[in-house]
Amino acid sequence: MSAPLPDAPLPDAPPATADAPPGAGPRAVLALARFEARRLLLTAPVLLAFAGYALWIGWRTPSSWDGHPALQDVDRAAQGPPLLVGLAVLLGASLGVLRSHRHGTEEHFGVLPLTPWRRTVAHLLSVVPAALLTAVGVAVQFGWEALKPGAVGHGSPAELAVGPLSVLLFGAAGVLSARLARSPLAAPGLVVVLLGVVALGAGPDGTDGLSWLAPSVATGASTTFPSELLGRPAAWHVLYLAGLALTVALLAVFAAGGRTRAVSAGLALSLAAAVAGGTLQARGAAPSPELTAARERATLAPEKEQTCLRRGTTTYCAFPEWEPRTATWAAVVDRVRSRTGGPAREAPLLVRQRVEARYGPYDDSAIPPAEAPHQVTVGTSWGGNRVPEFSTAVAAVFVAGSESAGAELCDGRMVTVMWLSLSWQDDPVDALRRVRVDDSLSGPATVLAPTEPLSMTAAQTKVVRELLESPPPGVAERVREHWAELTAPGVTTAHAAGLLGASAPAPDEPTEEGEACEA
Amino acid sequence: MTPTVSAFGLSLHYGRTRALDEVSLRLTPGVTGLLGPNGAGKTTLLRVLATAAPADRGTFTVLGHDPSGAAGRREVRRRLGYLPQTPGLHPHFTAFEFVDYVAILKELTDRAARHREVRRVLDEVGLADVRARSVGKLSGGTRRRVALAAALVGEPAFLVLDEPTVGLDPEQRMRFRELIAGAGEGRTVLLSTHQTEDVAMLCHRVLVLADGTVRFDGTPAELAARAAGRVWSSAERAPGARAGWRTGTGGHRNLGDPPPGADLLEPTLEDGYLLTLDEAGTEVAA
Repeated sequence: MSAPLPDAPLPDAPPATADAPPGAGPRAVLALARFEARRLLLTAPVLLAFAGYALWIGWRTPSSWDGHPALQDVDRAAQGPPLLVGLAVLLGASLGVLRSHRHGTEEHFGVLPLTPWRRTVAHLLSVVPAALLTAVGVAVQFGWEALKPGAVGHGSPAELAVGPLSVLLFGAAGVLSARLARSPLAAPGLVVVLLGVVALGAGPDGTDGLSWLAPSVATGASTTFPSELLGRPAAWHVLYLAGLALTVALLAVFAAGGRTRAVSAGLALSLAAAVAGGTLQARGAAPSPELTAARERATLAPEKEQTCLRRGTTTYCAFPEWEPRTATWAAVVDRVRSRTGGPAREAPLLVRQRVEARYGPYDDSAIPPAEAPHQVTVGTSWGGNRVPEFSTAVAAVFVAGSESAGAELCDGRMVTVMWLSLSWQDDPVDALRRVRVDDSLSGPATVLAPTEPLSMTAAQTKVVRELLESPPPGVAERVREHWAELTAPGVTTAHAAGLLGASAPAPDEPTEEGEACEA
Repeated sequence: MTPTVSAFGLSLHYGRTRALDEVSLRLTPGVTGLLGPNGAGKTTLLRVLATAAPADRGTFTVLGHDPSGAAGRREVRRRLGYLPQTPGLHPHFTAFEFVDYVAILKELTDRAARHREVRRVLDEVGLADVRARSVGKLSGGTRRRVALAAALVGEPAFLVLDEPTVGLDPEQRMRFRELIAGAGEGRTVLLSTHQTEDVAMLCHRVLVLADGTVRFDGTPAELAARAAGRVWSSAERAPGARAGWRTGTGGHRNLGDPPPGADLLEPTLEDGYLLTLDEAGTEVAA
């Protein structure tokens, strides 16, 4: 039934509001994105995550890598904490999308000009500042490491991009989960699933193509490799992550009703990028024949890859990225050599950098000691315990003539080796403790070196500790004066102690090695 | 002379239930009241006109824009302020933030201008002092004013208010009526209510809806006039009355066809409304 329309003259209608100016929708999306971004950054999980991230950077970076980072390791190490930020952003973004549903404002907002799918775009864009803040965190961490005087190597922009991209991906996943399942439990459930996926990527070596489906792959401790030997498909991984993030984002827009031609085309393109990146990264995860050959060359014939620098009678050969570090090595060599006597003071020495690269960076195979005389190995890491370890290896070569012979020392020459190695250090006793594998200052122990470890008996430990803690007057002169005797094979610990002015130790408990050496 | 809203033959069914049946109307500036019993279709009509629900049949325009297409719907929404029956609010937002949020959704993109507008509407509804307070900490009446401010932001030409005074205490209701009267100056307001006092005090025009059909369309005085000569008092409830109730003085007020010599009373808007419903076949509770 139709009601009669009023016959009375009608008052004039109010002046018509002007039609929407061009671009009003996109501008409103940006305005809403700014609003939502501010709220997202102020949500408790995101605030806590960023606070934790900042604290982690501030706490970890000053002492990381003992002040001597290789930047090709730093870039990967910067990927872990952003994943936690990403999970917090996922929760926050999901809560933001669900807000109008939870508080019953959909009825009202549904009749406002900004459509639900444009609001979804705004929620997706609101994640971008969190990703940019993460990028700042990554840049600060990486820049801080790069500015350390001992830094070497090259970072990969692709590896550095993983953290911020992960935040984008997780944020988009939060928006999508809220659009698909309007439950506050959806996002926490997704966090649990993603933690599983992250664990998938935390595999031992990242050579499994499947593990590269995780946002961040194999970022844990590894042997430092020259950049070109790492063989990580980082660029393809970035393509995969970017494609995946965009796919998830556009799926969220699609689910919110944004089924425009542009969204469909974007969805197809981003999906293609994700699939292409995922496929290519899986192929690149296993070492190529070229990479395998390069790793073999670096392991077995490093001289073909290295450049050498001569300082006095010592030659330093390093992989190109480590050339700036030769001066640091030289400082150690010079200090040890200055305490030697006899021909060792002028003997030629070759310091060669070596790495066991054949089994990948996550293999912990030891490097065999060099057989050639007057050659000492230096590794790819430096700082901290690596310094006394290298110093010990240098001393052992000066005393025993070669690295392989040094590795077999077990007689009284170990006293001289350890004194040469440690007496010049700022805190010799602490250096002794750190260079021993069990951090002890008494009893027998294995002594770490860049290649095979050395060993000390309890008596040798006692003499060395006395020499380091309260050195008798003129120890350095005694070393030079008695160099031939101190470095003669078969010299006993007691005799070495006597020559150096230290108390004669009680004889060691007989051991198989001890008996063989000291007999 | 162009009406703000013109609707022709709007119909909407929920399954087999007829919520709206061939509703046609024209709305002009000022406050129009929409009266009707529960289930009359008031909220449905408001939701259709607010573009929250599409009609099965019929068309309508707002300031010449037809919301049946996406572009037209967007233009209608740009000119619309809507206060749902149970308006949701974001309790962790301040009053300012919530209205600002709605302003963004209304595509007010210039930040400075938008903030000026948000302050203006908060001032208009008397919330200048609490705009920095969280919505969740405000009283029920104040929250309702925040919702009204959100409906008013952007100076909509067409304001749809679904039972805005329900649940408010008398003082808050009076305050709200003042706000709505102010909002009706220069714009078209469609107000659904159960309260005939709301209509009597606010509206220049009233629609009575029953069973999804417009039963009356005229001024409040015309609605009251429908009961002229059909309201009388008696000591007991008159047997032939269509409706009647005991008054505070102990007598009875009766509606219908009075007996000869009956003590006729001045009709009120409510009398006209109840008789209109009675004539429409709707059961009158009184």
